Amino acid sequence: MSAQPSPVSLAAVLARGDIWRGDALPGLAAGTIASGYAELDAELPGGGWPRGNLTEILVDRGGIGEISLLLPALARLSGEGGCLALVAPPWLPHAPAWAAAGVAPERLLVIRPGKQLAWCVEQLLRCGGFAGLLAWPDASIDARALRRLQVAAEGQSVFAVLWRSTVDAATPSPAPLRLTLAAGADRLALRILKRRGRPASRLLQVEIPRPGRKTRVVAGPAFSAADAGSTAAAAVA
Amino acid sequence: MPGHKLSTALGLLPGLRACERDPAREARALADLACWSGRFTPTVSLAPPAGLLLEIGGCRRLFGGIEAIVAAVLDGCRIQGWSVDWAVAPTPLGARWLARAGAAACYESLAALQAALADLPCAVPDWPAEVVARLDAFGLRRLGELSAQPAGGLRRRIGNGPVDDLLRACGELPDPQRAFVFPERFAAGLELPSRVEFAEGLAFAAQRLFAALAGWLQVRQSLLRVGTLQLTHDDGSSSALPLRFGEPCADEGRFMRLLREHLSRLQLVAPVEALSLMADELVARPDASAGLFEQAVQGEGAAACIERLRARLGDDAVRSLALHADHRPECASRSDDPAGIFAAKTASTATFGKPRPLWLLPAPQPLAERVDGPHWHGPLQLVTRGERLESGWWDSGEQSAVGDLRRDYFVARTGEGQWAWIFRDAQGWFLHGLFA
Repeated sequence: MSAQPSPVSLAAVLARGDIWRGDALPGLAAGTIASGYAELDAELPGGGWPRGNLTEILVDRGGIGEISLLLPALARLSGEGGCLALVAPPWLPHAPAWAAAGVAPERLLVIRPGKQLAWCVEQLLRCGGFAGLLAWPDASIDARALRRLQVAAEGQSVFAVLWRSTVDAATPSPAPLRLTLAAGADRLALRILKRRGRPASRLLQVEIPRPGRKTRVVAGPAFSAADAGSTAAAAVA
Repeated sequence: MPGHKLSTALGLLPGLRACERDPAREARALADLACWSGRFTPTVSLAPPAGLLLEIGGCRRLFGGIEAIVAAVLDGCRIQGWSVDWAVAPTPLGARWLARAGAAACYESLAALQAALADLPCAVPDWPAEVVARLDAFGLRRLGELSAQPAGGLRRRIGNGPVDDLLRACGELPDPQRAFVFPERFAAGLELPSRVEFAEGLAFAAQRLFAALAGWLQVRQSLLRVGTLQLTHDDGSSSALPLRFGEPCADEGRFMRLLREHLSRLQLVAPVEALSLMADELVARPDASAGLFEQAVQGEGAAACIERLRARLGDDAVRSLALHADHRPECASRSDDPAGIFAAKTASTATFGKPRPLWLLPAPQPLAERVDGPHWHGPLQLVTRGERLESGWWDSGEQSAVGDLRRDYFVARTGEGQWAWIFRDAQGWFLHGLFA
């Protein structure tokens, strides 16, 4: 939003991302990590993904680019030598793709906790040795368990993400940051449901790197003219 | 009340439990306790049958004063279930005599020690009975009165031994002690006072063993990587409980946490009568300087956490990822032992010219094929040209191997915005991965 001449209402001023009421938007104690997407950073309190807090990302269908949204932050955490953990991932992580995105596979832990996901995530958060954690709880995880996880994360420097279904959007959660993702036309449509500070309702369109070339759609397995290969090399997952 | 017959004792207290004394077990217990006390000082001496001498003069700074050491030692003994009489004194013999008299106090200077010794009765337990009787006949009741006697006459009457003892206790004669030799290999055993039928009940007894192990590791400057807890059952058989540590450690608390996780999963085949603990694999403790400034260390760190997760969930449930040089997607990533997470490995630099998905399905999922191509949640739009993978002739036909593949891979989009990695081979279309 650009600065407008004279009569500006108070609400309009407060709606700017860089102005907030002193008593309304707390600074994030544990700091943040830049998401790598400027338009998203502008909307996140503290200017990035929160550390030491739970972040809930509600998404219904995997494969729309939800991990790619986090990859710049995860790559930075991994590049600094931090350990990342995937707890109960829905599929098998494919090491070459993670490595190409900058996440060191040997410092990526894959944990299959069975029915003990909440216990397992709590241990991982509390131990303080992990820089990032992505967990896929099943639908039965309740508010008490989430509360425990949030308490466990507080004071640590871990970037913790819980993946949940958009069905849970209406149920309250102790996570300070919640957002929903949906596949847009050619971008990722992102809506912040809850954050510290002023409420956000604007739908964000985040452009994430996608494999292949978006503009070029080949109708079938038949080979077509040449140039798809070189652009495909640039964009990996 | 010593000196009673067992029948008299039982008559006085009908519920009395009498145990036969086993000097060998007592000696073992004392040696274990000596191992444990290696955490406080490297100079430990045994004073059989029931005494242990710790030279703590050299470690007061480390622990922050004598009181702190004494408190730590007493606390440790209490946790292990020992009751102790103790005293701190400048001479070993003086400390032993005072401890046996129940002094429970610190005498830091020789003068304070001599004053305290002067109050002790002349009936020193180590002295022969006739000496004690003779001193009693002389009318000497306290050691203070005894030391006031002329030494020459005393030596003629009660012999050299007791007089020298008195001089050693007072610090007038040197009193070198034979140092306890910490064993080369650690193996400690413990017979349980009663049979234990539930695995959790073993934790308390095992704590003594782990406490001894931790002290021994401290003295040996080593860290434990693999240990074994051997359980001897009442039918004579035995079973072993291996304990593996993600990161070698020498911390008793961590030993116990890991043990509790193991015990909570353990089903005992028969009640347990005895425990023994062996240190199987040791690594030398690396030299590390403590930080000069206060460093924010919160929580126990990743290694301990991984170890606990593995103990509860099983080794296969906690894996790290590893790259493997193979063109077949099923073989390109492997699960690895998470111990490697802390090894400073050179980062693998695999580069792929073609896009690779972050997620791979456990097994390729067959896709329906219609007129307009493959379908998965609606028709799939192919976004890239085909990438042919033809590899793996070397393990075709082998058990549980992927075998020879001939596939054309494509990136495809569904109408709902999902990006999939699909391939076509002789059998038709398959979904193999997702670009998340």
